Amino acid sequence: MRLRGSGEQEGRDYDLSVITADTGDGGVEAGDVLRGLTEAAIRSEWDLLDGLRADAFVSMGVQETVDALTVAAAFNGITRVADSTGIPLDDAMAEATTSIRAASGIDQFSYAEKSARYDL
Amino acid sequence: MVQMASMRFTLGLMYTPELPLRTNLTEAHEASWQAIGEPGAFWTGPERVQMVAHARAATNCKLCEQRKAALSPFAVPGEHDEISRESELPPALIDAIHRIRSDPGRLTRSVFAQVIAAGVSEAAYVEMVSVINSSVIIDTLHRSLGLSLPELPEAREGEVSGDYNTEAVDRGAWVPVLDADQDLFEPGMPRVPNILRSMGLVPSAVQLFFQTFRPHYALANIPLSISQAQAEFVAARVSALNECFY
Repeated sequence: MRLRGSGEQEGRDYDLSVITADTGDGGVEAGDVLRGLTEAAIRSEWDLLDGLRADAFVSMGVQETVDALTVAAAFNGITRVADSTGIPLDDAMAEATTSIRAASGIDQFSYAEKSARYDL
Repeated sequence: MVQMASMRFTLGLMYTPELPLRTNLTEAHEASWQAIGEPGAFWTGPERVQMVAHARAATNCKLCEQRKAALSPFAVPGEHDEISRESELPPALIDAIHRIRSDPGRLTRSVFAQVIAAGVSEAAYVEMVSVINSSVIIDTLHRSLGLSLPELPEAREGEVSGDYNTEAVDRGAWVPVLDADQDLFEPGMPRVPNILRSMGLVPSAVQLFFQTFRPHYALANIPLSISQAQAEFVAARVSALNECFY
């Protein structure tokens, strides 16, 4: 969860809880636009994305829009690597991110928890 | 109409000149696409290309759609769509590919275990993960930018190398991982990212995936037109949507 790290470097306190929420920009510039683009791309809502992308070209800029979607595409792949290999957080990382994981609500995504929840 | 003529970018064969993509990204995607079609460590070129075809088929698969809508992803039996039924790959592997593509947030150890029970080695599984998710990045970018998907990579004949990392270790993941320094460095991240470690059983899998991924993102001083915080917001939201622990 690098959003907190970015906030610390910029002297800003981003609201991490919006990451697992259905709305909110968390204080990130153009966060609502970024959220719309990201969610449409990851949910394969291509017709919706066509319109959002055209709007974002104007409100945010062409290069900025392309770059945001570039990041989304990358994480659509890398998250699947983690999901496919079940790699846990190592001890140092787990300890360093305890409060971040609690604030963002991502503890519910641990692979041990999901296996217990979904395996019949 | 937004003017893009002054932007300095070049375009590879996979992309049209309609949108500004950086040269290092288009070149990396070209190289990865070609590499997918070549023999890997455990799968031949035609088999690796079939994997990409299965992943694409999953995006329109009725069984995958029904499973995604079910309370448990394991509650709906059935067969995947036609392209998958005609495949020469093990059915358990095809099922895993469909699940990785269509419902990654609900993957569990049992999916992996079924693949292994079908006689696929852990290392071969890791190679599949790399191939599929490299193609997911490339396909997602195309669709996100309103571009047609690139044609499947050209499959090349040749022998698999059989190369894998004999020093991979058990760290609680489903597969043995790269044994690496776990200390945190300045940005509060491990020196060797866990995602890299997770595919460390097969060095060529690491190479393929990160060749594809690297031009998209950096942990600090991101070389894009959006800020690091904006990139992290997008990344974190994708992680949440895909129910990823990272």
